[in-house]
Amino acid sequence: MEIPDSAVNEEAHRRAEGTALSALVDQYSGALYRVAYSVLRNPADAEDAVQEAFLRVVRHRDTLNDVRDHRVWLIRIVWNIVLDRKRRAKTRPETDDVAELARVLPSTGLSAEEVAAAAQHHAHVLACVEKLPTKEREVLVLSAFEELSSVEIAAVLGITESSVRSRLFRARNLIAGLLDHTRNSK
Amino acid sequence: MTTNSHSPSLSASTPESAEDTLRIVANLPAPEGLEERVHDVLRRTPRLARVLPWPSALKPQSNWMRTAAAAAIVFAIAGGGWGVYTRVEPNRPARVLFMPRVAAPGGFSGAGAIRTPETVPGPAAPQPVQSKTAKKAAPKNKITGQPSVQK
Repeated sequence: MEIPDSAVNEEAHRRAEGTALSALVDQYSGALYRVAYSVLRNPADAEDAVQEAFLRVVRHRDTLNDVRDHRVWLIRIVWNIVLDRKRRAKTRPETDDVAELARVLPSTGLSAEEVAAAAQHHAHVLACVEKLPTKEREVLVLSAFEELSSVEIAAVLGITESSVRSRLFRARNLIAGLLDHTRNSK
Repeated sequence: MTTNSHSPSLSASTPESAEDTLRIVANLPAPEGLEERVHDVLRRTPRLARVLPWPSALKPQSNWMRTAAAAAIVFAIAGGGWGVYTRVEPNRPARVLFMPRVAAPGGFSGAGAIRTPETVPGPAAPQPVQSKTAKKAAPKNKITGQPSVQK
Protein backbone atom coordinates (compact mmCIF):
# COMPACT_ATOMS: atom_id res chain seq x y z
CA MET A 1 0.00 0.00 0.00
CA GLU A 2 1.31 3.42 -0.90
CA ILE A 3 1.31 6.20 1.67
CA PRO A 4 0.33 9.58 0.19
CA ASP A 5 2.87 12.40 0.33
CA SER A 6 0.49 14.69 2.20
CA ALA A 7 0.22 12.19 5.09
CA VAL A 8 4.01 11.93 5.33
CA ASN A 9 4.37 15.71 5.29
CA GLU A 10 1.68 16.08 7.93
CA GLU A 11 3.38 13.55 10.21
CA ALA A 12 6.81 15.17 9.72
CA HIS A 13 5.32 18.58 10.34
CA ARG A 14 3.65 17.39 13.55
CA ARG A 15 6.87 15.79 14.77
CA ALA A 16 8.82 19.01 14.11
CA GLU A 17 6.23 21.01 16.00
CA GLY A 18 6.45 18.60 18.94
CA THR A 19 10.23 18.90 19.03
CA ALA A 20 10.09 22.69 18.90
CA LEU A 21 7.50 22.76 21.67
CA SER A 22 9.49 20.51 23.99
CA ALA A 23 12.56 22.66 23.36
CA LEU A 24 10.55 25.72 24.41
CA VAL A 25 9.41 23.93 27.57
CA ASP A 26 12.97 22.96 28.49
CA GLN A 27 14.34 26.41 27.76
CA TYR A 28 11.75 28.75 29.19
CA SER A 29 9.78 26.92 31.91
CA GLY A 30 12.00 28.31 34.65
CA ALA A 31 11.78 31.91 33.44
CA LEU A 32 8.02 31.66 33.05
CA TYR A 33 7.70 30.20 36.53
CA ARG A 34 9.66 33.09 38.03
CA VAL A 35 7.50 35.65 36.21
CA ALA A 36 4.36 33.91 37.41
CA TYR A 37 5.67 33.57 40.95
CA SER A 38 6.65 37.24 41.16
CA VAL A 39 3.00 38.19 40.63
CA LEU A 40 1.10 35.37 42.30
CA ARG A 41 3.71 34.53 44.96
CA ASN A 42 2.31 31.08 45.33
CA PRO A 43 4.34 28.10 44.01
CA ALA A 44 1.35 25.96 43.02
CA ASP A 45 -0.47 28.80 41.27
CA ALA A 46 2.72 29.81 39.45
CA GLU A 47 3.23 26.25 38.18
CA ASP A 48 -0.39 26.09 37.05
CA ALA A 49 0.10 29.34 35.15
CA VAL A 50 3.17 27.95 33.38
CA GLN A 51 1.27 24.83 32.34
CA GLU A 52 -1.65 26.90 31.09
CA ALA A 53 0.74 29.07 29.10
CA PHE A 54 2.16 26.05 27.30
CA LEU A 55 -1.32 24.67 26.70
CA ARG A 56 -2.16 27.93 24.96
CA VAL A 57 0.98 27.55 22.89
CA VAL A 58 -0.17 24.06 21.86
CA ARG A 59 -3.54 25.47 20.86
CA HIS A 60 -1.86 28.08 18.64
CA ARG A 61 1.16 26.07 17.51
CA ASP A 62 0.41 26.83 13.88
CA THR A 63 1.54 30.40 14.53
CA LEU A 64 4.76 29.28 16.23
CA ASN A 65 6.84 29.87 13.12
CA ASP A 66 5.62 33.46 12.81
CA VAL A 67 6.88 34.42 16.27
CA ARG A 68 10.10 36.39 16.22
CA ASP A 69 11.11 36.34 19.89
CA HIS A 70 9.77 33.24 21.60
CA ARG A 71 10.95 34.28 25.06
CA VAL A 72 9.11 37.62 25.07
CA TRP A 73 6.10 36.00 23.42
CA LEU A 74 5.92 33.31 26.13
CA ILE A 75 6.45 35.81 28.94
CA ARG A 76 3.64 37.91 27.52
CA ILE A 77 1.34 34.87 27.50
CA VAL A 78 2.14 33.90 31.08
CA TRP A 79 1.93 37.55 32.17
CA ASN A 80 -1.62 37.83 30.85
CA ILE A 81 -2.55 34.56 32.53
CA VAL A 82 -1.22 35.57 35.95
CA LEU A 83 -2.79 39.03 35.79
CA ASP A 84 -6.11 37.44 34.92
CA ARG A 85 -5.81 34.97 37.78
CA LYS A 86 -4.82 37.65 40.24
CA ARG A 87 -7.73 39.83 39.16
CA ARG A 88 -10.15 36.97 39.63
CA ALA A 89 -8.74 35.79 42.96
CA LYS A 90 -8.42 39.29 44.46
CA THR A 91 -6.57 37.82 47.41
CA ARG A 92 -3.31 38.89 48.92
CA PRO A 93 -0.33 36.89 47.77
CA GLU A 94 0.61 34.05 50.03
CA THR A 95 4.12 35.40 50.61
CA ASP A 96 2.83 38.45 52.44
CA ASP A 97 2.83 35.96 55.25
CA VAL A 98 6.23 36.35 56.94
CA ALA A 99 6.58 32.67 57.82
CA GLU A 100 5.95 31.66 54.21
CA LEU A 101 8.56 34.16 52.99
CA ALA A 102 11.09 32.85 55.48
CA ARG A 103 10.48 29.38 54.11
CA VAL A 104 10.77 30.37 50.46
CA LEU A 105 13.67 32.84 50.46
CA PRO A 106 17.24 31.56 50.38
CA SER A 107 18.80 31.60 53.84
CA THR A 108 22.22 30.01 53.58
CA GLY A 109 24.65 31.26 56.20
CA LEU A 110 22.02 33.12 58.21
CA SER A 111 20.90 32.55 61.76
CA ALA A 112 17.27 31.89 62.52
CA GLU A 113 16.86 35.44 63.84
CA GLU A 114 18.36 36.96 60.71
CA VAL A 115 16.15 34.87 58.52
CA ALA A 116 13.10 36.03 60.47
CA ALA A 117 14.19 39.69 60.27
CA ALA A 118 14.85 39.42 56.53
CA ALA A 119 11.49 37.76 55.94
CA GLN A 120 9.78 40.52 57.91
CA HIS A 121 11.57 43.20 55.89
CA HIS A 122 10.76 41.56 52.56
CA ALA A 123 7.13 41.09 53.55
CA HIS A 124 6.94 44.78 54.45
CA VAL A 125 8.49 45.83 51.13
CA LEU A 126 6.23 43.52 49.13
CA ALA A 127 3.19 44.92 50.95
CA CYS A 128 4.31 48.42 49.90
CA VAL A 129 4.74 47.22 46.30
CA GLU A 130 1.18 45.91 46.37
CA LYS A 131 -0.02 49.41 47.26
CA LEU A 132 1.44 50.91 44.08
CA PRO A 133 -0.86 51.74 41.16
CA THR A 134 -1.18 48.83 38.74
CA LYS A 135 0.80 50.34 35.86
CA GLU A 136 3.74 51.32 38.02
CA ARG A 137 3.69 48.05 39.94
CA GLU A 138 3.77 45.98 36.75
CA VAL A 139 6.80 47.78 35.40
CA LEU A 140 8.60 47.59 38.74
CA VAL A 141 7.99 43.85 39.03
CA LEU A 142 9.15 43.16 35.49
CA SER A 143 12.21 45.37 35.88
CA ALA A 144 13.40 43.04 38.63
CA PHE A 145 14.08 40.38 35.99
CA GLU A 146 17.65 40.90 34.91
CA GLU A 147 16.97 38.90 31.76
CA LEU A 148 14.39 41.46 30.55
CA SER A 149 15.53 44.71 28.95
CA SER A 150 13.32 47.80 28.88
CA VAL A 151 12.53 47.08 25.22
CA GLU A 152 11.37 43.59 26.16
CA ILE A 153 9.33 44.90 29.10
CA ALA A 154 7.68 47.32 26.68
CA ALA A 155 6.90 44.41 24.33
CA VAL A 156 5.42 42.34 27.18
CA LEU A 157 3.22 45.20 28.38
CA GLY A 158 2.39 46.48 24.91
CA ILE A 159 3.62 50.01 25.58
CA THR A 160 6.53 52.14 24.39
CA GLU A 161 9.98 52.04 25.87
CA SER A 162 9.73 55.65 27.02
CA SER A 163 6.52 54.78 28.88
CA VAL A 164 8.39 51.98 30.63
CA ARG A 165 11.07 54.41 31.76
CA SER A 166 8.62 57.04 32.98
CA ARG A 167 6.52 54.47 34.82
CA LEU A 168 9.62 53.01 36.43
CA PHE A 169 10.66 56.49 37.56
CA ARG A 170 7.24 57.13 39.08
CA ALA A 171 7.22 53.68 40.71
CA ARG A 172 10.57 54.32 42.38
CA ASN A 173 9.39 57.68 43.71
CA LEU A 174 6.16 56.22 44.98
CA ILE A 175 7.80 53.27 46.69
CA ALA A 176 10.31 55.63 48.32
CA GLY A 177 7.43 57.69 49.65
CA LEU A 178 5.61 54.64 50.95
CA LEU A 179 8.70 53.27 52.67
CA ASP A 180 9.48 56.68 54.20
CA HIS A 181 5.94 57.00 55.45
CA THR A 182 5.98 53.60 57.14
CA ARG A 183 9.45 54.23 58.60
CA ASN A 184 8.41 57.57 60.11
CA SER A 185 5.20 56.20 61.51
CA LYS A 186 7.12 53.58 63.52
CA MET B 1 27.11 41.59 61.52
CA THR B 2 26.36 39.76 58.32
CA THR B 3 25.90 42.07 55.34
CA ASN B 4 23.88 39.70 53.29
CA SER B 5 21.41 41.15 50.80
CA HIS B 6 18.85 38.68 52.13
CA SER B 7 19.01 40.13 55.62
CA PRO B 8 18.58 43.90 55.42
CA SER B 9 17.48 45.72 58.53
CA LEU B 10 14.17 47.50 58.60
CA SER B 11 15.92 50.85 58.85
CA ALA B 12 17.33 50.31 55.35
CA SER B 13 13.93 50.57 53.67
CA THR B 14 14.89 52.43 50.52
CA PRO B 15 13.73 52.13 46.92
CA GLU B 16 16.90 50.17 46.21
CA SER B 17 16.09 47.72 48.96
CA ALA B 18 12.58 47.37 47.53
CA GLU B 19 14.09 46.50 44.16
CA ASP B 20 16.47 44.11 45.88
CA THR B 21 13.49 42.34 47.41
CA LEU B 22 11.76 42.10 44.05
CA ARG B 23 14.97 40.85 42.49
CA ILE B 24 15.29 38.13 45.12
CA VAL B 25 11.69 37.06 44.48
CA ALA B 26 12.24 37.22 40.73
CA ASN B 27 15.31 35.01 40.91
CA LEU B 28 13.86 32.28 43.07
CA PRO B 29 14.66 28.93 41.48
CA ALA B 30 11.89 27.02 39.76
CA PRO B 31 10.79 23.87 41.60
CA GLU B 32 12.42 20.57 40.75
CA GLY B 33 10.89 18.63 37.90
CA LEU B 34 8.82 21.55 36.57
CA GLU B 35 9.74 20.82 32.95
CA GLU B 36 8.80 17.15 33.33
CA ARG B 37 5.42 18.04 34.75
CA VAL B 38 4.75 20.48 31.92
CA HIS B 39 5.76 17.78 29.40
CA ASP B 40 3.36 15.36 31.09
CA VAL B 41 0.49 17.85 30.89
CA LEU B 42 1.18 18.48 27.21
CA ARG B 43 1.36 14.75 26.48
CA ARG B 44 -2.00 14.21 28.17
CA THR B 45 -3.60 16.99 26.14
CA PRO B 46 -5.93 15.44 23.58
CA ARG B 47 -5.05 15.95 19.95
CA LEU B 48 -8.55 17.29 19.42
CA ALA B 49 -7.41 20.59 20.84
CA ARG B 50 -5.50 21.21 17.64
CA VAL B 51 -7.07 23.62 15.21
CA LEU B 52 -7.86 21.76 12.00
CA PRO B 53 -5.89 23.06 9.03
CA TRP B 54 -7.70 24.32 5.95
CA PRO B 55 -7.70 21.99 2.96
CA SER B 56 -5.10 23.18 0.47
CA ALA B 57 -7.76 24.11 -2.11
CA LEU B 58 -9.56 26.29 0.42
CA LYS B 59 -6.54 28.09 1.80
CA PRO B 60 -7.03 31.85 1.76
CA GLN B 61 -3.71 32.27 -0.05
CA SER B 62 -4.79 30.25 -3.09
CA ASN B 63 -5.72 32.11 -6.29
CA TRP B 64 -8.93 30.17 -6.62
CA MET B 65 -10.12 31.38 -3.21
CA ARG B 66 -9.13 34.95 -4.00
CA THR B 67 -11.09 34.89 -7.25
CA ALA B 68 -14.10 33.42 -5.49
CA ALA B 69 -13.90 36.03 -2.73
CA ALA B 70 -13.65 38.87 -5.29
CA ALA B 71 -16.62 37.47 -7.22
CA ALA B 72 -18.64 37.21 -4.01
CA ILE B 73 -17.89 40.84 -3.14
CA VAL B 74 -18.86 42.03 -6.65
CA PHE B 75 -22.04 39.94 -6.53
CA ALA B 76 -22.99 41.34 -3.12
CA ILE B 77 -22.45 44.95 -4.21
CA ALA B 78 -24.27 44.52 -7.54
CA GLY B 79 -27.14 42.64 -5.90
CA GLY B 80 -27.49 45.29 -3.23
CA GLY B 81 -27.56 48.06 -5.84
CA TRP B 82 -30.13 46.25 -7.94
CA GLY B 83 -32.29 45.63 -4.86
CA VAL B 84 -32.26 49.29 -3.99
CA TYR B 85 -32.98 50.29 -7.61
CA THR B 86 -36.03 48.03 -7.88
CA ARG B 87 -37.53 49.01 -4.52
CA VAL B 88 -37.18 52.77 -4.62
CA GLU B 89 -40.04 54.61 -6.45
CA PRO B 90 -39.15 57.41 -8.84
CA ASN B 91 -39.91 60.95 -7.71
CA ARG B 92 -43.41 62.18 -8.46
CA PRO B 93 -43.81 65.80 -9.61
CA ALA B 94 -45.11 68.02 -6.82
CA ARG B 95 -48.61 69.46 -7.21
CA VAL B 96 -47.78 72.79 -5.68
CA LEU B 97 -44.82 74.69 -6.92
CA PHE B 98 -42.90 76.36 -4.17
CA MET B 99 -40.52 79.03 -5.16
CA PRO B 100 -37.33 78.85 -3.21
CA ARG B 101 -36.72 81.83 -1.06
CA VAL B 102 -33.38 83.43 -1.42
CA ALA B 103 -31.96 84.61 1.87
CA ALA B 104 -30.69 88.14 2.22
CA PRO B 105 -26.93 88.55 1.77
CA GLY B 106 -26.52 89.16 5.51
CA GLY B 107 -27.95 85.77 6.31
CA PHE B 108 -31.32 87.10 7.49
CA SER B 109 -34.59 86.74 5.65
CA GLY B 110 -37.86 88.58 5.87
CA ALA B 111 -39.69 85.33 6.61
CA GLY B 112 -42.04 86.17 3.74
CA ALA B 113 -43.37 89.34 5.36
CA ILE B 114 -44.60 92.06 2.94
CA ARG B 115 -44.96 95.62 4.13
CA THR B 116 -48.33 97.13 3.29
CA PRO B 117 -48.53 100.90 4.06
CA GLU B 118 -51.62 102.19 5.79
CA THR B 119 -53.78 104.02 3.35
CA VAL B 120 -56.18 106.81 4.25
CA PRO B 121 -58.88 108.16 1.98
CA GLY B 122 -57.55 111.17 0.14
CA PRO B 123 -59.22 114.65 0.12
CA ALA B 124 -62.12 115.01 -2.21
CA ALA B 125 -61.49 118.07 -4.42
CA PRO B 126 -64.53 119.82 -5.95
CA GLN B 127 -64.73 119.30 -9.69
CA PRO B 128 -64.79 122.57 -11.72
CA VAL B 129 -68.04 123.10 -13.60
CA GLN B 130 -67.56 124.24 -17.24
CA SER B 131 -70.28 125.81 -19.30
CA LYS B 132 -71.21 124.29 -22.67
CA THR B 133 -70.81 127.66 -24.52
CA ALA B 134 -67.22 128.07 -23.38
CA LYS B 135 -66.38 124.70 -24.72
CA LYS B 136 -67.72 125.57 -28.16
CA ALA B 137 -66.11 129.09 -28.32
CA ALA B 138 -62.58 128.00 -27.75
CA PRO B 139 -61.56 124.99 -29.73
CA LYS B 140 -58.69 123.14 -28.18
CA ASN B 141 -55.32 122.80 -29.71
CA LYS B 142 -54.95 119.23 -30.84
CA ILE B 143 -51.49 118.86 -29.51
CA THR B 144 -51.45 120.72 -26.20
CA GLY B 145 -55.11 120.56 -25.34
CA GLN B 146 -55.17 124.34 -24.50
CA PRO B 147 -57.64 126.76 -26.10
CA SER B 148 -56.10 128.10 -29.31
CA VAL B 149 -55.47 131.82 -29.67
CA GLN B 150 -57.17 133.61 -32.55
CA LYS B 151 -54.79 135.88 -34.56
